[in-house]
Parts: sequence; C-alpha cells; structure tokens
Amino acid sequence: MKNDLQTLQLAIELCGIALETPLIPASGTMSKEALGEVAGVYGAILPKTTTPKERAGNPPPRIAETPAGMVNSIGLQNPGIEKFLEGLDDFDLGVPIFVSVAGDAVDEFVALCDCLAGDDRISAVELNLSCPNVEHGGLTFCAGPTSVEEVIGACRAAYPGKPLFAKLTNEGVVANAIAAEESGADALTVINTIPALTIDPESQSVLVRGGLSGPAIKPVALRAVYDVSRAVNIPVIASGGVSTGTDVAEFMLAGATVVQVGTISFVREPGEILREFSEYLDRMGTTASELTGAL
Amino acid sequence: MEIEDREEIGGYTLLRYSWESAIEPGQFAMARVAGYPVTFDPFLARPFSYYDHDSETASLLFEVRGRGTALLDDARDRIEVSAPLGRGFRIDESRGPAALLGGGIGVAPLKILSRRLNALGVCHDVFLGFADTRYAAVAEDFPGASVATVDGSAGIHGTVLDAVPDLERYEAVYACGPNPMLAAVKRAVGDRVICQLSVEERMGCGNGSCNGCVVPVRDGGYVRSCVEGPVFDAEMLAW
Repeated sequence: MKNDLQTLQLAIELCGIALETPLIPASGTMSKEALGEVAGVYGAILPKTTTPKERAGNPPPRIAETPAGMVNSIGLQNPGIEKFLEGLDDFDLGVPIFVSVAGDAVDEFVALCDCLAGDDRISAVELNLSCPNVEHGGLTFCAGPTSVEEVIGACRAAYPGKPLFAKLTNEGVVANAIAAEESGADALTVINTIPALTIDPESQSVLVRGGLSGPAIKPVALRAVYDVSRAVNIPVIASGGVSTGTDVAEFMLAGATVVQVGTISFVREPGEILREFSEYLDRMGTTASELTGAL
Repeated sequence: MEIEDREEIGGYTLLRYSWESAIEPGQFAMARVAGYPVTFDPFLARPFSYYDHDSETASLLFEVRGRGTALLDDARDRIEVSAPLGRGFRIDESRGPAALLGGGIGVAPLKILSRRLNALGVCHDVFLGFADTRYAAVAEDFPGASVATVDGSAGIHGTVLDAVPDLERYEAVYACGPNPMLAAVKRAVGDRVICQLSVEERMGCGNGSCNGCVVPVRDGGYVRSCVEGPVFDAEMLAW
C-alpha cells in the first residue's frame, strides 16, 4: 500500500481526471479474474475492447511466443456492449473506468459512444482504431488522416462532455495523431500492437498472423510517443512494451502523461512495476507529474 | 521456489518443491526459471498440471519440448511457480468405478487425481498411453496401471484407448492428453457417464487475461482453458 508521500509522488491528471498512479492496463490484457492483483496499482481500469455485438474471436492458435514478446490474434473476443455494461460493476476498484470500443464501421463506433455517453460509471472512452473498416475495403481506421478524422469527428459528436481517447497504430502515427487532435480527440494512446507473423517450421505453416507486443516493441513505441507528443498539444498515453519502472519513466520523459501496462502483466505483477517507478522517482527526487516531457 | 528434488523418469522431468496450501487435482501452475526479468527470452511462463501433492510437497512433471522447458530442465536451485490455477476435476464420489486415461505428458494430473480418489474411496483404474518405451517408464509410478505404446515397445501395441478392455463398465472417465486423444476418448465414452477432459493448450497469462488458450465449445464460441478449464465436461466441448 502507498503511503502519503507516495500518493503525492504518483498522482497525475489526465484530461481533468485525477489518477492516483500514472499506470493503467492496456486494453485486452486484464481480465476480471486478474483484478485482485492490481488494486492500488492502476490509476484507472481499462477493460478489454467491446464491440456492438458479441464476437467469438479467432480460432486457435491465437498466441505465439517470440523473443521478448508474443504475437496474438485474439480477434476481439467479447460479449458485446450490452453484456459488457451489465458486468461493468465487477471492474469497480474505486478508480476511474475507461472503456475501449471498436466497430467495423463508423456507425458502429457512433452507436457504442451513444451507449456509453450517459453512463456515469465511465470516465472516458478509448477508440480502438486498429480494426478493419468494412466500408473501406478492410483497411483499418488508422489507414490515414482522412479515415481518422471521419471516425473521431463522428464519435466526438456522439460522446460530448467527457474525454475521448484515440488508440493509434504505429504506422503513420504522427499524421494520424494530428488528425485525431484536430477532429476532437482529448488524448492519444500510442501505439497498438505491430503487425507480425510467426511460422512453425516443423509443420511448415503459419502459426499466428497478428500483432506483436511485449518488451520487443518498446523502442518503437518510445519513438512514436516522442514524435507524437511533439506534434500535438493533447496528452499522450503510452502503450507498447513497458516492462519495468524505468520503462515507465522513459515513456514519461518521452512525453507520455500516463503509461499503459499490457503484455508484461502476463509475466510480472504490475505492482512491481509501480514499486520500481516509485523508487526511480525517489532516486531522482521528482514526481510523476513533473516527469512528463521533462527531456 | 527452492527445488527440493529433481528426477528424470523416462523422457520426463519431475521437480518437487515445498507447497502446503491446497491443490485440486487437474489444477495447473505457471512455471519459469528464476532470474526473470533479466531474460525476456523465453518471455512467457509455461503451464504444467500438478503431478502430485502430499500436503507438504508439490511436484510438476514435464517434457522438454522447447527452450522454455529446456531451461526449466536445467534448473537445479530455484524456479518461479504460481499458485494453483484453473478448475480441476470435479469428482463425484458416488460414481465409480472410474477410469483414468493419460496420453504422453497428459499422465501428469492422473497421479494427484488417483491419490484423491483413493482418499475418497473411489475405485478406479489407470490407463496410460505413450509414444514408446522410453516415455512409458513413468508408468512405474502408477502401480497397477495398464500401458499402451504406439510403437509397441512396451505394454499393448496401440493407443491408450486400446489399453482399456471394457470402457462400458466405468461410471466416470477422467482423461488428459493431446486434444485428438481427448476427442477420441469423448467419442468412445459417449454421453452415458461422467467424462471430464483436461485439455492441453498454449497459454499466455494463465489468469484469464489474454484469451490465448481458448477451446471451442458446443454452444458456439470459445472459452478460456486457464479459467473455465483446463478440465471440462466432455459434452461442453465442440470436438
């Protein structure tokens, strides 16, 4: 448990929301079953991405281990927005709840925002823009600034008054970030997994075609956070390969306001990362809020 | 965890460590070498069914299949092991005799299960199938077990199901092994008796977060083998 000094040291503000710590879980990496391990660690809770209707997800194999990381192709398995909201109270740890949403078309994103706009339990919405847009031949919503502007502009209108985050992929991230800010996003989550492939040489077949995450992608994410935070005037939420307390510090120095903890939580207690970060702040004689962009 | 004892049995490695809290037969642990996170490669821990637990000592039985298990096999002093995870076998004490079927490294949870059934006074027989005689050496740890090998080098020539003379006489069947074996067991058993299958799946987190270890279910969709399993009622699975 944190003492008073640590409380002051770790507190941060994101889009007007007071967070007790600058760590939040990356979407899709923390289940209800794992909540017990993260009480007091995360400044906000961010459950797995929700879509309008239930999704079964992709057939296995869905994950493959790679050096310092893993490739996943889960396929956004989730029970759909209605059941998700019925179970939302399970995620109540007394900290703000952010909700990640994804759709196949702009209309689906808008419908999701409509569902969430009046829900007092939810402090912010994160748009997962890495999924294919069926209206644009399957290119993702992050395919370019025009696509980003279209979906964020529509969601902004449907979700007024509360913070709207856009989660962006690495490719074209600076141009998309500028477009996201101009179309009304309040913060940018940078980055999503990186397209990747694993092959099983024994069976001579594709094992998993999906997204790479874990420590392996940290330098890529760090560069994206650094570049984006210099191109926009809204907060950046770092995501990608964070695995230690000093990684958190590096992302904040690069310009992040808060940092998402994802794949590493499969193999390390997130509390250890927070403890290391707190030790770093002690050693440097600084606080989390002073660290952002302090390079 | 300090490794108290390490033993090579046939083609498998057995690690024992001190563990006093309860373990349900069929539950598993995520294990990796100590010293993490200095090495992020291999990155993930590995899931292993508990092999045995005698109220003081727990043990894991595994086969070296890749770098993660090779490193665990090299460990002599310490490994990192999670607490017991997942849903194990749901034993109905009134249903006997029971048949325990294990294929390859799938024999692992049958030792602790057999111990539990003995404690409950449930009559049961153990049937073990292996690729060859080298792996079949672990059957010495299962007194009275019937053995089959695919190459015929030990026991009956055939699969574990070939080692069961009369499947009809059992009121409960508990099995663990590769998924094709479990599917064959499910077909052979039909729906007249209790049939529970412990699945082998690639796992990421072990706590339900990554959705990587899913199995297809009869009603459509997928469920996580780490939280809803790894032991499932056979009728629930879409095999």
